[in-house]
Amino acid sequence: MRHLKRVVTHQTVLEKEYDVVVVGSGISGSIIASELSQKGYKILILEAGPGKDLTLAGYEKYLNHFYTATSKDNNAPYKRNPNAPMPRSVDVKKKEPGKPNTDSYLVQNGPFISDFTYSRVVGGTTMHFESKLPRMLPEDFNILSTYGHGLDWPIQYKDLMPYYRKAEFEMGVSGDVSTQTFSKQKAYADDYVFPMQEMPPSYLDKCVAKDVDGAEVKLAGETYALKIRTFPQGRNGIPNKNYKKFNNGELFTPVGAVSEHQVEEGERCQGNNNCTPICPVQAKYDGRKTLAKALGTGNVDILPQTVASRVVIDPNTGKVDQIIYKSYQELDSEEHTTGTIKAKLFVLAANAVENARLMLASGLNSSSDQMGRNLMDHPYILTWALLPEIAGTTRGTICTSGISDLRNGDFRSKQAAFAVDIHNDGWGWATGGAETNLLNIVDNQNKFGKDLRNELVHQISKQLLLANMVEMMPDPKNRITVDPKYVDRLGNPRPIVTMEIPEYTMEGISFARQLSKSIFQRLGAEDHSKYDPMDYGYLEYKGEGYAIRGGNHLAGTHIMGTNADNSVVDRNQKSWDHKNLYLVGAGSMPTIGTSNTTLTLAALCFMSVDEMVKDLEA
Amino acid sequence: MHLHPIETVKDLYNYLYIAIQLEHATIPPYLTALYSIHPGTNLDAYNLIRVVAVEEMLHLTLAANMLNAVGGTPDLTGEGFVPLYPTYLPDGETDFKVGLEKFSIAAIDTFLNIERPAEIDNSKGRATGLLKVNRKNTSILPSFKTSDGEELHFHSIGEFYSAIAKGLEKLTKELGEKTVFCGDYNKQVTPEYYYSGGGDIIPVHDLESALAAIRLISEQGEGYEGGIYDYEGELSHYYRFQQIKLGKYYHKDDTPGKPSGEDLSIDWNAVYPIQSNPRLEDYPKDSELYKEALVFNEFYKTFLKQLTTAFNGQPSVLLPAVGGMFKIKEMSYKLMRNPIPDKEHVNGAPTFQVDSI
Amino acid sequence: MDMNKEQLNVFLEMSTVLTAFSEYELKGTGQLEAYFNTVVEIVGQGIMDELLNAFAEVKKIANNNEAILNKQLRFQLLSNDKLGPITRNIIKMWFIGSWYQLPNAWRENYGESQKDITFVVSANSFIEGLLWPSIDSHPPGAKAPGYGTWTNKPQITEL
Repeated sequence: MRHLKRVVTHQTVLEKEYDVVVVGSGISGSIIASELSQKGYKILILEAGPGKDLTLAGYEKYLNHFYTATSKDNNAPYKRNPNAPMPRSVDVKKKEPGKPNTDSYLVQNGPFISDFTYSRVVGGTTMHFESKLPRMLPEDFNILSTYGHGLDWPIQYKDLMPYYRKAEFEMGVSGDVSTQTFSKQKAYADDYVFPMQEMPPSYLDKCVAKDVDGAEVKLAGETYALKIRTFPQGRNGIPNKNYKKFNNGELFTPVGAVSEHQVEEGERCQGNNNCTPICPVQAKYDGRKTLAKALGTGNVDILPQTVASRVVIDPNTGKVDQIIYKSYQELDSEEHTTGTIKAKLFVLAANAVENARLMLASGLNSSSDQMGRNLMDHPYILTWALLPEIAGTTRGTICTSGISDLRNGDFRSKQAAFAVDIHNDGWGWATGGAETNLLNIVDNQNKFGKDLRNELVHQISKQLLLANMVEMMPDPKNRITVDPKYVDRLGNPRPIVTMEIPEYTMEGISFARQLSKSIFQRLGAEDHSKYDPMDYGYLEYKGEGYAIRGGNHLAGTHIMGTNADNSVVDRNQKSWDHKNLYLVGAGSMPTIGTSNTTLTLAALCFMSVDEMVKDLEA
Repeated sequence: MHLHPIETVKDLYNYLYIAIQLEHATIPPYLTALYSIHPGTNLDAYNLIRVVAVEEMLHLTLAANMLNAVGGTPDLTGEGFVPLYPTYLPDGETDFKVGLEKFSIAAIDTFLNIERPAEIDNSKGRATGLLKVNRKNTSILPSFKTSDGEELHFHSIGEFYSAIAKGLEKLTKELGEKTVFCGDYNKQVTPEYYYSGGGDIIPVHDLESALAAIRLISEQGEGYEGGIYDYEGELSHYYRFQQIKLGKYYHKDDTPGKPSGEDLSIDWNAVYPIQSNPRLEDYPKDSELYKEALVFNEFYKTFLKQLTTAFNGQPSVLLPAVGGMFKIKEMSYKLMRNPIPDKEHVNGAPTFQVDSI
Repeated sequence: MDMNKEQLNVFLEMSTVLTAFSEYELKGTGQLEAYFNTVVEIVGQGIMDELLNAFAEVKKIANNNEAILNKQLRFQLLSNDKLGPITRNIIKMWFIGSWYQLPNAWRENYGESQKDITFVVSANSFIEGLLWPSIDSHPPGAKAPGYGTWTNKPQITEL
């Protein structure tokens, strides 16, 4: 996708008037900028990270940084930036008793130490997200009244349905609607299809499916038959002819790489097996594709390397008066200037942790005192095994299929629901990947030449990793806070994370682990799962140990509700306290079910735009 | 084979066969230059050439769609379909040859010739863009013969396509659109099976869609009405290559020959020192290089077979065929990194000799 | 750096034995000189000479007998305190493109180099790792095989 150059200087910004200031150029901010700018509103985006990402050369630098990084974690493509730091899994350490972990960007208070990450670059965390895009289930919106856990939403699934469609169009979803049938309610119109056909399942998926399809699971009096199905994903594939009726009679046009020059790249997934941390050909959706569209209107300017530092409220009106920012020239220098930005409307779209951090750093706890609370993520329990046959592991997208049959059911009154991914990239997430196998074969198994190569096949091409993504409910005790003791190099307070995995979730984790054992038995696979008590994410539950991983599906910190006493924002993500302020993104979600949060937060942003337009017209 | 202005449907088949051959003939030279660049260097030039190569694949597919639309049978597997390089282009230009060469100024000059705009050159005395030049005997490729027996050659690919457009219009007028466009629509490659950002595949089923396909091909190559951009607002191939030669990107309102944009960083030395226009005979018969060059040619032959299958009613075969193109890249790199035994600092390269298999 | 052509050839031949990839395949990665230079830069020309001389000796003893060659490689190189860790590092470079910091014992006995840290030799060395073709795959983030190819059975044959 070609775009106009709209990176501006602070001087230019001072001389212009903007209708809306958006903090953050990730998917939420980009959707809002794109939608409002198409209606003619003038938008300024503040981005904490550098702005070179919108050129192909800038993107190729990321890729090169990834290739040459010794640790290929989610933020490996990006240079360390102490002026706008981001959490990295490589920085996470086991908690020492009695004191928080303070030596990396996230201050971790425990008791659970999570390795969740997000990215502070143009495009935000969608730069490294896997792009799995399932909708939430209709039942998820009334989970409290139905199953007695979590919170009910102030909106229903059907309210979001048209916006889910918009989000699926925007992100270019490939998938098969007929596989998405685990709700007891009708979740899709009969003739609805996704913009593109489903991604072909991997050979590994098929190896698993042949022995797992039809397996019965009994849970809380109900029987579930398992079936390996593909996930809807934001990745370019083959446009679906039947989508024409949802696209003005036109076939869906996949959106390729973002660039100032024409590049002919990214029109279709090539199977790089690297969706996370970076799709080398930009066949995966990321927020920059929407941002490029926004910039193309000519109504959007972006100010990179500019960190929103404080939200200032007019004491008379209670409205946001201005945002104070700190702007730096170099990643390697703390030198920066401070300035202010005014607009009619302010939108914080910096992600669940950063939105809350900014508000709390501005002394704005919200009248409900819910700011920063109800922090949620999807805890993952990984299970891994060696199949009895060569399954071609390490090919395809990171994940094409999995098990979604236990995403919903009456058991949710007792334990968390979960979804299972089959990881085409093998054991990497759990053990460090093929490199770990290589080092072991050379250093410990003393093999070289043919024996080494045969052993690589044996140890890698048969790998199966199941990533069990478990539901986590909102709890006000799980939260983001700030403390002037802990600041980054520009003096902005760092997020302090307090998190505990609730028992409801642990029940789900424990059940998922058992299910994996049974699946491995069916497959005749050797179970190699091991949870080291020295692991930072290690937890014991009912006598069993588990090493839990963060899902990076951060949510809940500016929760949406029915009134100013029980929530931070209303159903349109508008602050109850400050009438010209929106806090957008997964932070607004009261629950997250077993859906990766991006599609739902995108739908919410499309919905909020309608309300923003009303505000701007008023 | 000689061409003459299109009078019959059979003439049309000939022209469209040559169009497919022509579009294909540009691909090995582009790929050779492209893969001779050390990976990770010359990123600007690499991307510019790659985009053009991708669009040539689009043009090839459009030409196949046109031939299918008029009831012909695309065939990329016949003897002589792939020329032996260096060669003249099949549409008849005779003032330059196209060869398999590493990324170099000479290669870019050739590419500029391939994509050069149609021009009315008064010194050569013809307003049609056809040139009267004696063809050398080495060319196995067709020239153009007028009804009074004069031998002519096209000056540019655009002129060649405009002759096809004229023929289509003439035949449609004479025989009726339904008669001319009698092909099986199911053989059309549609956007589900093929897409690229610089112009969508156009299924061809009538005069209008055929002319749209011709327009896309001509303008992506040469620009629109003398401008540097095509009607979709993309820089044409000719001017993209010119950017490499001049070391500068074009900006929107630039005049031809005077790009005013950012500099391109070009390192003519970050290139594998490959043999120009290599032939299997250049590699010792007992060498791995020879063996692998042969494997490459066999693979390339299979690739052309797959394309032929895809263009004859099984468009879904394009998916594995495109997968094959990724393999062509990796095989090319290996050949280009291996020195030719007993030669100093000269590496191998794919020979694209598929007929000898 | 003086890269003796003869030494490079011995290094290449040794690498074919260590990796079971042919000279053509190894040269085809474009990484031969880079790996040779990496070893010399870190352990020094002297130890490189020792290593290559040891391999030449192994080859002489083996006299084209593969079993003896493999055995002698273990005796003279892989089991040797000084040469073993370097030999294993050469294997690792070919397969994954990274140099790994030598074991502490080696560093204490044979000298520490500032450059002896774990690093990826270059972006291309990562991309050209031979681990991936060994399992009919490709490195994550590069050399993708094309849309939908992952649904087919991998073409893997035991050697």
